[in-house]
Amino acid sequence: MVQINFAKREINCKLVYYGPGLSGKTTNLEVVHKKAPASKKGELTSIATEGDRTLFFDYMPLELGKVGGMNTKFQLYTVPGQVYYNATRKLVLQGADGVVFVADSQPDKMDENIESFQNLEENLREQGLQPETIPMVLQWNKRDLPNVEDVGVLDQKLNKYSSPTFEAVAVTGEGVFPTLKKLAQMVLEKLNKEYGLNPDKKGAGGGGAATAKKPDPKPERKPDPPPVERKPERRPERKPDPEPVVERKADPPPERRRPERREREPEPEREELPRGNRKPQGYDMGGRKPAPPEKKGGKGVMILLLLILALAGAFVGGGYTGKLQDLVPQAQKFYDDKLAPTLGGGSQANNNGGGGDDQGGGDDDSGQ
Amino acid sequence: MGASETDRKLRKQRLIFYEDDVERINKALENYQNLSKSRCNMLIDVEGHPVTQVGSTEGINLETIAALVAASFAATKEVAKILGEAEFSSLTHQGKHESIQLSLVGDRTILATIFDSEETTIGMVMFYTKELVEKLAGIFGEIANRKDIKQGVFEPMEDMESVIDDLFGDV
Repeated sequence: MVQINFAKREINCKLVYYGPGLSGKTTNLEVVHKKAPASKKGELTSIATEGDRTLFFDYMPLELGKVGGMNTKFQLYTVPGQVYYNATRKLVLQGADGVVFVADSQPDKMDENIESFQNLEENLREQGLQPETIPMVLQWNKRDLPNVEDVGVLDQKLNKYSSPTFEAVAVTGEGVFPTLKKLAQMVLEKLNKEYGLNPDKKGAGGGGAATAKKPDPKPERKPDPPPVERKPERRPERKPDPEPVVERKADPPPERRRPERREREPEPEREELPRGNRKPQGYDMGGRKPAPPEKKGGKGVMILLLLILALAGAFVGGGYTGKLQDLVPQAQKFYDDKLAPTLGGGSQANNNGGGGDDQGGGDDDSGQ
Repeated sequence: MGASETDRKLRKQRLIFYEDDVERINKALENYQNLSKSRCNMLIDVEGHPVTQVGSTEGINLETIAALVAASFAATKEVAKILGEAEFSSLTHQGKHESIQLSLVGDRTILATIFDSEETTIGMVMFYTKELVEKLAGIFGEIANRKDIKQGVFEPMEDMESVIDDLFGDV
């Protein structure tokens, strides 16, 4: 909220840079700080994480000079863009006199832009401020990237209140000052409208000065109000979940101009999602029915038992001749004569059964 | 509920300090400073704009400290809410030599007292702070209850564009 201090002949206004994480808010402020005349600017203070992500805010005072006989100062703030920090974002927004919404022009950031803009509206209303009337400028940042959303699309999706818009490449400084200049103008015009003594233009009551001189610098703004495709209550409540940590890792700030870096790779594992359900799925695959795993051991034991039985049969009933090497053919004979017919297969079935077992295991594995 | 009504309300809430107000405030602050033996005292509005200060501010970046103090107070207020308190009315940051005591004055302003631990004690500062806060709250109450400011308090802002151009013009 504007503070008017007649003792110091000072007007203090608070301007806030808002927008999704990594859209370039801090970069905007850094450019303003770098390029503003030394006599007009104060220190740039950042409360940031070690990874240089804004934790609370960045702040710098900027002195405009004498306007209407008053020394006019702007306090420029940025908010932390990450969803997680909504509580601190609200605090920074308290008493804002004007807002720059910095949007990331990349198509895959559109959802984040929309979400952040809705969050701005919610938070403004919570502070008793009206998004419809608060001076607001929209900045389409990162226009230098190869794959950016069309300005018309950004305007249609984000510019709900027909605010002035500016294209920018904040890292090079392009568009940063026109954005701030326009917002400064809007804030002062509002102030002038409310308090300014304006005897010769439309009377003191109106907003004469504001309306009389409306420079309208480079309005790429589209006067048409965006269609109501946006659902204002799309996400009323954000939960402070640990997502931002992932976001932070995925996208280190200095290289934020590389869109590829932010692209999430389609996870190959996603198709294997029912990992725990793999076994039951295996039964239905390919028409083959691999043996159930629990039978693997059972078959081996069965074969062993059959062999012992065959040997015993050969030994007792098959006429043992006393030579051990004769025992095997006798056992084979006993097996073929007595046991195989009841089992429905030859002696080879044993080998096949074993092989089938292995193969069954192999199938299991390859069955995914 | 309309936007214009909200704007009117906000306008009423807006802090406007006249010379008389600041003189009265400064007098109270100076008196407190002598009693508490503090080094410097600042009044900051909750949005982080400095209102006035007395004492030695050498080496202190007033604007930055005002923004940080306001933010710190705002954050603390949220912590208080979580703990079921409406707010914490005072905050102290104690250093080896320099310390700062923050006290809420009314609901819109913060008093920041910077003091040297070798010159005074935190107890002394807190003792006199209580008295001062009551006094200042009275003054701010008057300011807040003052009728809505009339139009025409500024000279016309016809120089607005040129000032903005001077600052941003060729960039």
